[in-house]
Amino acid sequence: MAEESFLADDFLRQLMSVGEVDLLVGIPSYNNASTLGQTLQSVEESLLQNFVRERAAILNVDGGSTDETLQVFEQSAEQRGASHKGLTSLRTIHRISCQYDKSPSQGWALRNIVAAADLLRARACAVISPATANVTPLWVANLLRPVHREGLDFVAPLYVRSRFQGLLARDLLYPMTRAVFGQRIRELYADEWGFSGRLASQCLEKDVWHEEPVRVRPQAWMAITAIGGGLKCGQYFLGPKGAAPAGTGPDIVEAIRQTVGNFFWCMETNQAYWLSRSNSQPVSTFGPDHELSSDGIPPSPEKIFELFRTGVTELEPILASILAPDTHAQIKAIALSDRTKFHFAMELWVKTLYEFAASYHHTVLNRDHLVQALVPLYRGKLYSFLLEHANSSGEEMEAQSEILCQEFERQKPYLVERWTAKS
Amino acid sequence: MLSQDENLWYKDAIIYQLHVRTFCDSNADGIGDFRGLTSKLDYLQELGINAIWLLPFYPSPLRDDGYDIADYTSVHPSYGSLQDFKDFLTAAHNRRIRVITEMVVNHTSDQHPWFQEARSSRENPKRDWYVWSDTDTRYQGVRIIFIDTEMSNWAWDPISKSYYWHRFFNHQPDLNYDNPAVREAMWEVMKFWLDIGVDGFRLDAVPYLIERDGTSCENLPETHEIIRDLRKRIDLAYPGKMLLAEANQWPADVISYFGNGDEFHMAFHFPLMPRMFMAVKLEDRKPIIEILEQTPQIPETCQWCIFLRNHDELTLEMVTNVERDYMYDEYAVDKAMRINLGIRRRLAPMMENDRRRVELLTGLLLSMPGTPIIYYGDEIGMGDNIYLGDRNGVRTPMQWNGGWNAGFSAADPERLYSPLISNAIYGYQAINVDSQRRSAHSLLSWTKSVIQTRNAFRVFSRGSIEFLNPSNHRVLAYVRKLGDEKVLIVNNLSSSAQAVELNLQMYKRHIPIEMFGRNLFPRIGDLPYLLTLGPYQFYWFRLRRI
Repeated sequence: MAEESFLADDFLRQLMSVGEVDLLVGIPSYNNASTLGQTLQSVEESLLQNFVRERAAILNVDGGSTDETLQVFEQSAEQRGASHKGLTSLRTIHRISCQYDKSPSQGWALRNIVAAADLLRARACAVISPATANVTPLWVANLLRPVHREGLDFVAPLYVRSRFQGLLARDLLYPMTRAVFGQRIRELYADEWGFSGRLASQCLEKDVWHEEPVRVRPQAWMAITAIGGGLKCGQYFLGPKGAAPAGTGPDIVEAIRQTVGNFFWCMETNQAYWLSRSNSQPVSTFGPDHELSSDGIPPSPEKIFELFRTGVTELEPILASILAPDTHAQIKAIALSDRTKFHFAMELWVKTLYEFAASYHHTVLNRDHLVQALVPLYRGKLYSFLLEHANSSGEEMEAQSEILCQEFERQKPYLVERWTAKS
Repeated sequence: MLSQDENLWYKDAIIYQLHVRTFCDSNADGIGDFRGLTSKLDYLQELGINAIWLLPFYPSPLRDDGYDIADYTSVHPSYGSLQDFKDFLTAAHNRRIRVITEMVVNHTSDQHPWFQEARSSRENPKRDWYVWSDTDTRYQGVRIIFIDTEMSNWAWDPISKSYYWHRFFNHQPDLNYDNPAVREAMWEVMKFWLDIGVDGFRLDAVPYLIERDGTSCENLPETHEIIRDLRKRIDLAYPGKMLLAEANQWPADVISYFGNGDEFHMAFHFPLMPRMFMAVKLEDRKPIIEILEQTPQIPETCQWCIFLRNHDELTLEMVTNVERDYMYDEYAVDKAMRINLGIRRRLAPMMENDRRRVELLTGLLLSMPGTPIIYYGDEIGMGDNIYLGDRNGVRTPMQWNGGWNAGFSAADPERLYSPLISNAIYGYQAINVDSQRRSAHSLLSWTKSVIQTRNAFRVFSRGSIEFLNPSNHRVLAYVRKLGDEKVLIVNNLSSSAQAVELNLQMYKRHIPIEMFGRNLFPRIGDLPYLLTLGPYQFYWFRLRRI
């Protein structure tokens, strides 16, 4: 039996009214009443300042908010133009909205956005999160412009982060993505990004929208789809990333499940692309010269080491089934070392991750459990990082990151070997 | 004596704008004349227009197409005699066509005897009929209108060794309306023509009559006093005659020229015109809706004059810089198409000879509130010649047939005041009245039919307008209402087919009757009224409750 259309009739009616657009900005929301108005204003100002001739639509995709998110969207549509400092567009900037009747997920939201992009034949699209505190009109323009004017298909943001912000991306996601997929895209799991209508159409056709990794964190999948499809990717330096309010982001377990689990799944579904590739290439990077690391206060390492040590002990049988004996032995050894002299070696870290990826592929145990087993090891790596870089400058940390990336690339044959080995 | 309602004839008018020089040459000298124009009145009557607006036909050195008048009370010999004009006027009136003439009140030619006297010495009694200064720094900051040719609003007069003020070309000195003698002289001029029988004047360049230090020298209160005085005199001595203001300003500024119904009867709505073109190119109703929303109500007896093209450049003064750039890029990509702050092109070439778009724009012109003006030749889709200099490219001879000189003149082609349009697309062999008369489906035949429809329903000329706001922004829909008469207009501004749902709950149970084919459409019910429109298609429906 054919799948029911996921597009609501009312949404379709709105799309019919909009017709064709050059630009589409999607704003996924769920209980964002307090910030949505500001986000909408930034998006509209961006369109007015930078794309005055283009046909544009702003699409709010809501996951069933129980606060006043929907009312904020409707009201701001009525008040629009009043607060734009005399800016005016040649054309109507369409505002449309839809609600999907599933539990809130970035994937469902993105599915509606790419469907809208496909049906509206949008040339350039951006996803902007109302949860990001400091979205500026320039951000929106910078994500759209490389797609609209330079012909790119995927544009990731590039943020300046404090030295101790985004460590999961720095130590794991970025270097591993770079080594596996061969493109140096730094922020694969950002909440804002740009993409082409062509990529939207390709993604829409994929039968993966019910897969949990796509439902939860679709942005990296979209980027990897672009890379795998030979489409042009780039990144735009947006400046400092506003931190989400405390307590609103996922905890480390959930973050690893969502990102690393997602990444392993992407490796699985795109193995035909990456298995035969080596080395990595820089992607087009736009924006002013920039430093990627700024000053910041290191988080307290207390407990982190203990959690690592306890985890290694408690998860010993599970780790034994995931890791090669030698790797496992080395980890157990460092877990017993003096915490003040603790060092999680780069080589070991890369090998560990590659073994996790291969075990995920071979499904040596429940994949979700497998990914969660990485959490204590990541904590160990994090603790080691904090010890080593408490007094490092941003530049030194960047240099270290580059060395780590190269290590990931150097060991990629090991990954391929483990991945392709008969289980 | 006309009735009160008949005095409002200008509200129901469809005005045809022409220059006598361009229309028909009766004496084979290569220049159109009043006898030639008179011979073509049957054509204009057949077209369905009921007023003619004549561009200046007075004696003039013709350095600004007659807007540099050297004698206000006679006819340029090239166009015939005063008697020829009177004969034309009688013939037009016999066909129930009114005649509006151009009255260039702000300035004269520097060849006008008034100016010749004024410059002859500083003591001459006419000296004070113009605006003089020993320096060229007075009224600094006042904008220059013809930016392509003029560097200053002051010009040096070597004879009287002082500067004279001119808002337009330097050979067009501004009259000094602070001088009561000037006002009286101009009233005498108007009386002269009103006594002959003209039905109204289009007053050129009205905002600039008065100058004051520290102001923009535009739209000053003293200017309005002059207009009010003029209007009072006309109402008293010549009831039923009409004054039309040329004030290229924003609606909020033009509105003052209606006064309390005691200044102009009509004024051009300049900002609407470029926005109609913009809306079609953008495929979005926003520019039209925005400008009409900004347009204030006008007194009951007043009316806007609306137009698509005229003898001047398509002026882009009343648009933002962003809008102007867009218009240039979309409609005047060749720099030769641009002049001053505007575009010197005709309607059909601007629409790339796309009949659907020409019809859509003409449909808009004839269905929006205001008295429409059709520029000669646009009813057959005439082309232009952007290489003729100034704005002469849109002032070429009328194309009557595919024969000798397009049927415009029996003179040798070299004698014509302007070359004919002769290219393969717009040339007179392809585009002319005779060939279009022979086809029921020609642009000319279509234009006649749409004018006939408009003339049959007073709601178009006098009715209110209420915009519908369907979510499809490519569709511009509005209801015109006058008493029980209701007309629904739905325009697809885009190049692709569109579906639109209209909220017509106010007209529930009404039956839409398509006005050109007189076909019935489904009765309006509880649901939004669904229509589909082809590219650039439009519907005019009469809404009837039967």
